[in-house]
Amino acid sequence: MLASTCIVVGLIWDVSWHRTVGRDTFWTLAHVLEQLAAVIAGLTCGYLVLKTTFAGTTEEKAGSVRFWGYFYGPLGAWVCIWGTLMMITSAPFDNWWHNAYGLDVKIISPPHMILAWGMIGIQIGAMLMTLSAQNRAGEEDQKLYSMMHAYAAGIVITMIGTVIQEDASVGNQMHGSKFYAITAWVIPLFLVGLSRASRLRWPATTITAIYSAITIAMSWILQLFEATPKLAPIYNPVTHMIPPAFPLLIIVPAIAVDLLMRRFGRGNDWRLSAAIGVTWVVVMVAVHWFWADFLLSPYSRNFFFGADQWSYTDQLGPWRYRFWHLDVDANGKWSPFLFAKGIGFAMLLGIVSSRLSLFVGSGMAKVRR
Amino acid sequence: MCSAHVGSPDAWFEGNAGPYHITVQVVAPGVVPGVATVYARVDGAGVEQVTVQANRFDALAGAPPPETAIPVRNDPGMYSVPLWIMAGGSNSVVVSVRGSLGEGKVVIPVVVVANRRLELNPKLGVGLAVVGVFLLVGLVTIIGAAVRESVLPPGEVPDAARRWKARAAMAASAAVLALALFGGSRWWNSEDAQFNSSIYKPLTSRATIEAAGGQPVLDLRISDSSWVMRNDSMWLGNHHSSHWTPLILDHGKLIHVFMIREPDLLVFAHLHPTTTDSVDFRSSLPPLPAGRYRVYGDIVHESGFNETLTSTVELRDAITNPARATDADDASLISTAAPNGKRATLEDGSIMTLIEGEGRFVEGREASLRFSVVGADGKPLALEPYIGMAGHAVVTRDDGAVFVHLHPAGTFSMASQMAITMRQPGDSVSGRLGQRISASEAMLPPAQLRSDGVVGFPYAFPKPGNYRMWVQVKHAGHVLTGAFVFTVEAARR
Repeated sequence: MLASTCIVVGLIWDVSWHRTVGRDTFWTLAHVLEQLAAVIAGLTCGYLVLKTTFAGTTEEKAGSVRFWGYFYGPLGAWVCIWGTLMMITSAPFDNWWHNAYGLDVKIISPPHMILAWGMIGIQIGAMLMTLSAQNRAGEEDQKLYSMMHAYAAGIVITMIGTVIQEDASVGNQMHGSKFYAITAWVIPLFLVGLSRASRLRWPATTITAIYSAITIAMSWILQLFEATPKLAPIYNPVTHMIPPAFPLLIIVPAIAVDLLMRRFGRGNDWRLSAAIGVTWVVVMVAVHWFWADFLLSPYSRNFFFGADQWSYTDQLGPWRYRFWHLDVDANGKWSPFLFAKGIGFAMLLGIVSSRLSLFVGSGMAKVRR
Repeated sequence: MCSAHVGSPDAWFEGNAGPYHITVQVVAPGVVPGVATVYARVDGAGVEQVTVQANRFDALAGAPPPETAIPVRNDPGMYSVPLWIMAGGSNSVVVSVRGSLGEGKVVIPVVVVANRRLELNPKLGVGLAVVGVFLLVGLVTIIGAAVRESVLPPGEVPDAARRWKARAAMAASAAVLALALFGGSRWWNSEDAQFNSSIYKPLTSRATIEAAGGQPVLDLRISDSSWVMRNDSMWLGNHHSSHWTPLILDHGKLIHVFMIREPDLLVFAHLHPTTTDSVDFRSSLPPLPAGRYRVYGDIVHESGFNETLTSTVELRDAITNPARATDADDASLISTAAPNGKRATLEDGSIMTLIEGEGRFVEGREASLRFSVVGADGKPLALEPYIGMAGHAVVTRDDGAVFVHLHPAGTFSMASQMAITMRQPGDSVSGRLGQRISASEAMLPPAQLRSDGVVGFPYAFPKPGNYRMWVQVKHAGHVLTGAFVFTVEAARR
């Protein structure tokens, strides 16, 4: 749990650092926090596995999964260890990548994806441990484990939000169908299954509330710290840490997800996926279309919403208050037809991702070891 | 990072930072953004602090705080610091020295481009592959274990059906992972291809010999469409082409052209063609024997970006009855025998001698390239400024893999330096800065006479091999060219 919190805080901090200060080394605090998290997760889970294998009671072994016929440990511990190894492996690869192709030009690069999957692995591992505890616990303990699971799941969604921020975070992106396609693909892919595995009454709502709270807290805290760029060229002389964008309002479609899941129950997963995929995109458009207008208005340019804050490398211009990636035709005019086509595609993605997610989530709902 | 010469990516400076004499080497990062290493040697005692700062040529909004250089161990007077360079193209590196004599600083123009492709070293490659296979197998095993046992109540043994289900899940996940791995490798390849296409190449150009008024002339044409179409913003937009800034005069010349006959490298000419459109550059030819010539053209853009155009041309008939030189500073040298590495006899009988330093040259290590010129009477020759400098030099490896035009101040052109130091906010209007540079050059006092007859060039040979060097000085109104041959040893790694 601690490890997963460290990772997500470290990650958001790191992104802010890159946008504000620029120069870093392997040893910036944000990096150390991430690495520390990996080490904590890896060591505790490694210890757990070794202890269960060599000094575990029969009962402890019975509550574990066997690995290569010899080692014993809870499923979550194995996933955590795997995540740690992924994170460690990404370091030399990333280092080489920087030397070969230049320093972090993009967030999404092959070594960063390995790192991201490692981080997600650690969080999924942590979540699996809370889930198996939830699934084995009696009435009174269950609520606590379910909340822990929702917290871990909220962190996973926050991670996802950070990874997709180049395409889906600020108001400028919210009038293009690309925004809806990306959010429909990646968010239900995690959120729906994680909700299926939960025993809370409003799991998707709770998980997205936790995502919103973490993101807002990071935004407010980071803005308090003064910082100036250490690299040239400086086109935008910033004076404090650039916060992450205000959280997406995915809590609204998440309420719909909870209602739909209750309505359909289990055993109707294909129909449920279709309903979630379509509803998700409809609600997202309904909410974010107008929310985007607010985010580009002067009312959002304050500490609370943290909008209109740009990296030191950005050459500020009228693009700040324009919509990007609009669905335009060959003449450069906005085309309702192209937008509708993009939205249809987003719904299709939403249906597929929900179905995959329900499949894995149903399995997770039964995890007991 | 380079002054965009050929195969010689590092930038060098020698001169004064206020009261301090310093020599600076900026080691190229090879990628953008990347980390350059700056080495600064400060002569004399009393130095308290050396700082270095990089900035892009047009970033007038603000500069980051300078980096403090650290003294290099066992090398008194030498300081070094890694320097992050984020923007490609023309950048400035400002080196400041503070000490008992006060403060001084210099601005060194540097061109930052991606110039090399890094291979994955075998050890790292094998290591990553081994760990990668382990992680993939681990993940498949985890998925198998999850399906087989994790959903069972503690203690229960999985039955045969469950075990089969687990095997199926493992097979399916292995297939999905294989697909992901395949996608990942395609992705890597496409990133690699994208990077390779971003590796710097000079504007394409073509040299030909044309007949003009019965006399052969050299015609060097920049054929690159991104340059030819540079004023057509519609075309540039449609072709996603870079926007070039116009050319500026470097000591009154828009281009310096060097012709070197191959493969013997015995014939050398330094010409200054004229142009009406910055595309077609024409120059009359000095007396030259027939043969195939390498043609290099040094140009400077208004951004401070300087680059070397490369081409070759076949001269079918020797030039025996040359036309009037296009420019008074044109000069050439025809050697009859291979030069040596110690001394050269110049056209007027004076002798140019390499002042022995270490006695040998090693790849990547600062080379002592200082020369003394003595007249036929045995006295040092007073050197007049030649195109604004005490001397010019050209260094090339015999196979053409390295070509660089050096000045006593370093590897960069004076125009690049002025393009950075004289830039003002209004200079986003194309051509304004160039006009001011031309005007101020005309006002500059002429460089001083060097009465001791000594001229030196700060440089390190970038690769091992056999090099040819031509050193040009001016005396009594005549340009004198001395040729040398050097062998450069490979550095021990």
